[in-house]
Amino acid sequence: MTFLEYLQSRHELLLIQTGEHATIVLMSVALATVIGVVIALWTYRNPRARAIATATAAAMLTIPSFALLGLLIAPLGLGYAPTLVALTMYALLPILRNTIVGLSEIDPALTEAARGIGMSRIRSLTTVEIPLAWPVILTGIRVSTQMTMGIAAVGAYVGGPGLGHQIFAGLTNLGGVNSLNQALVGTVGVIVLALTVDFALALLGKLTQAGQRPKLFRPRLASRPALTPSTAVPSPSLGGRE
Amino acid sequence: MSRDVMIDLQQVSKFYRGQKAPVVENMSMTIQQGEIVVFVGPSGCGKTTTMKMINRLIEPSSGRILIDGTDVTALDGNDLRRQIGYVIQQVGLFPHMSVATNVGLVPKMLGWDRKRVEARADELLHLVGLEPAIYRNRLPRQLSGGQQQRVGVARALAADPPVMLMDEPFGATDPMTRDRLQNEFLRLQEQLRKTIVFVTHDFDEAIKMGTRIAVLGERSKIRQFDTPESLLANPADSTVAQFIGRGARLKQLDLRRVDEITWEDVPLIQPDKAANGAKRRLEQAEGSSALTVDADNRPLRWVNAHDLAADAGTLDGAGQTVTTVEPQATLRDALDAMLASRDGAAVVVDEQGRYAGTVTLDGLMQVIHHTPEQEEPGAEVPGPRAGVARTAELTPEQR
Repeated sequence: MTFLEYLQSRHELLLIQTGEHATIVLMSVALATVIGVVIALWTYRNPRARAIATATAAAMLTIPSFALLGLLIAPLGLGYAPTLVALTMYALLPILRNTIVGLSEIDPALTEAARGIGMSRIRSLTTVEIPLAWPVILTGIRVSTQMTMGIAAVGAYVGGPGLGHQIFAGLTNLGGVNSLNQALVGTVGVIVLALTVDFALALLGKLTQAGQRPKLFRPRLASRPALTPSTAVPSPSLGGRE
Repeated sequence: MSRDVMIDLQQVSKFYRGQKAPVVENMSMTIQQGEIVVFVGPSGCGKTTTMKMINRLIEPSSGRILIDGTDVTALDGNDLRRQIGYVIQQVGLFPHMSVATNVGLVPKMLGWDRKRVEARADELLHLVGLEPAIYRNRLPRQLSGGQQQRVGVARALAADPPVMLMDEPFGATDPMTRDRLQNEFLRLQEQLRKTIVFVTHDFDEAIKMGTRIAVLGERSKIRQFDTPESLLANPADSTVAQFIGRGARLKQLDLRRVDEITWEDVPLIQPDKAANGAKRRLEQAEGSSALTVDADNRPLRWVNAHDLAADAGTLDGAGQTVTTVEPQATLRDALDAMLASRDGAAVVVDEQGRYAGTVTLDGLMQVIHHTPEQEEPGAEVPGPRAGVARTAELTPEQR
């Protein structure tokens, strides 16, 4: 059976597995984003707390995935749960670290101005700081997504969902009729999925980048500032002439 | 206490944990409604800390601060800050929001409806000289530094707060822009009559902007608190004098206008009339000059007896050129005009350019040395004279 024939004969199963793979990755990245951003917000102003948080997240990343998944079987059993938890733990570091960097790189004058005009801490975070740190946070999310795509395949080892099943089946049947096709389809599937999701996230970044709204959404006047020389402004005071 | 007191600092101190000396120690000061009080002093003297305690960006460790009779600690800090305009040197416009959104932030927080917020933003942009139709949808980075700070001022004014705090607001702009922003702001202040605390380390800016100036030393100790005029004329101690720097007399000239000093009269000659009478009058005046004027009394040239003798028939083209000043000009401008003239005198002309009098170097010297011995430093509220001098400062471009 050729690769294409294999694809055709199993396309229903493959689509389901791809869908599952994408779902578990996106779920864990979403979970990691929430956890990572919250921890970052708690710690980014305190150098020690910040160091502890990043060190912990980094330590989690160094645990081999097989070991972590295996360890998680004891408390969580087989299936979805250990995979989701493990992937979330792996996804945490890039998001946490980038959120901390993004937030601490904001010009202190802006946070001072926000406070000075009477913004509460939460309002300042939601309307000023997080929107400004968003591009950096999103980069972290993209890195995490890419990373967990591959690790998610290992999740099949503990009965998790996704394309990992194809790879594992191929590896266990080594020498069998479809073993190469299975391993190949699993691997290529993960790569294609990773690229697609990354593209989608990049697009999301373009659409949500603060202050750089794409032309599509920008009001007409603002899109061509260069064509309206400010010197032409008739103004009662001396304004508008620098 | 007078009803006009807007900000009242009572024995305010600020300590930081782990620091022996307080940053601000027992500072007391009353600020009247509608005046610009400038805190000026070397860096690290606590002037910014003092200012920030007024809107509780920094909480005072002890003492009380009253705004319009209300203790600032009675309000939630954020609510308090929404009622106090705040302008900083770095401007602090949010780069991801349009100019109009930036300006409308405080009204929005105060719960105004969208239409009203937008209308207010447009009104304020217009007020600070930025045409709303062109600028409202721009992002801050599409504006020049001066325009950005105008938006910063507009944002601070958005909810029409009675009190404004300004921390070196024009410090980051180039000298020309700064000068223009200062003048515009002073003109705005003429209409708005806000009570303003203005922090700067630039003494010239303090003189220009301040109704009263507080020269602060270490730990925000008030070395002298007085009008710019008295500060220049009578520095309280050598440190203040040092801070004022050289040229205090010249700086004084900036604060006073030609119409505040007495003018002298010189003989006027209309060339087409009989020169003889004029000659007689000149000879009586012993060596001083006369002014030739046209039929409308507009000054033409300075002439003296020698010119008359040389060309008794006609005075056309004789004598020295005349330099003129208007009554609203500062004495510095008058001095400049005097120095430009051979005779050491500048002719004061009215709006139509007609002769009104002359001012001379001698007269100027008298004014400088007769600067009234004003009130004890810090004791009194500025008199009406200070206000007049201010308006002179407002409109140098209009002259």
